[in-house]
Amino acid sequence: MKWTAKDLDMYMQSKEYVDTVLIPLVPLSFKGQMKQTGSMNEFLTILSLEIEKQMKGRILLLPTFHYLSDEMDKVERLKRWANEVKENDFEHVFFLTSDFGWKKEERELENNLVWIPAIPLEGLEIEQAREMINQQVLQILDIFSYNWKNEKK
Amino acid sequence: MSKHNVSRRQFLNYTLTGVGGFMAAGMLMPMVRFAIDPVLSADKGGDYVATKQKVGELTTEPTRVDFSFKQVDGWYESEETNTAWVYKTDDGKIVALSPICKHLGCTVGWNTDKTNPNQFFCPCHYGRYTKDGMNVKGTPPVSPLDVFDTKEKDGILYLGQLKPHGEA
Repeated sequence: MKWTAKDLDMYMQSKEYVDTVLIPLVPLSFKGQMKQTGSMNEFLTILSLEIEKQMKGRILLLPTFHYLSDEMDKVERLKRWANEVKENDFEHVFFLTSDFGWKKEERELENNLVWIPAIPLEGLEIEQAREMINQQVLQILDIFSYNWKNEKK
Repeated sequence: MSKHNVSRRQFLNYTLTGVGGFMAAGMLMPMVRFAIDPVLSADKGGDYVATKQKVGELTTEPTRVDFSFKQVDGWYESEETNTAWVYKTDDGKIVALSPICKHLGCTVGWNTDKTNPNQFFCPCHYGRYTKDGMNVKGTPPVSPLDVFDTKEKDGILYLGQLKPHGEA
């Protein structure tokens, strides 16, 4: 489900089935990394929407968490988001990012970080891009399924 | 004196009625057209979308068929990709099922659950459907998968409107 009035209505009615939140993490930079952050934004937007489409009934996709690439308290800020989510009856929180900087903070984020390098989509044919995104989506869905199964046992 | 003598009064009457008639018709025609418009456009329903799937290559095993169409969503017109699970029944009929789980809208896969082979499986809440799209009792979904209208043209599979199970 997406963060839209219609989907949130649906969420209210079927709260007990939705136990996972996905937050895309996208950096902003106006210096040398500007274009890379643009690529990441593009890639993550498409990827997260595609994941949401496949797993609509169990995942709530939050609006993207944006931060300046040299921001000092981004980890603290994200942890506050995560805590808020946990307090509202979600069992799993996943973060999806292409920014390597988060790798260092993995422990802080309780290993719920999915890091995936951004594919520069602007150079690809639409068919190719779709195929590549599909591959990535399948892999990420495996991670989710794995986590859900382990919780059952 | 001619027999067809038209008085000034008669002449004006005829012209005014004539012109008035045209004006009334000019106003009424569009209104009538608007009023009956739903009736006229109803039989246009059922736009078929071409897929890349050749009908001859379909087997009794469900295959994933992707197809795209233009969709207007609020302000945006986007190229939307949709998927169907398509197979042939034993007597050669083509069945195209929607992959959208009737529970909460996840995407179901064919044969993806090892413990329940030859069923459609929803990874979100472990809902299951038999091959003909019927929901398995005891799993979360409460109704069968929707079915696409299908059509064959030049050996290519066309998919039409999505309908509830049993109505296609």
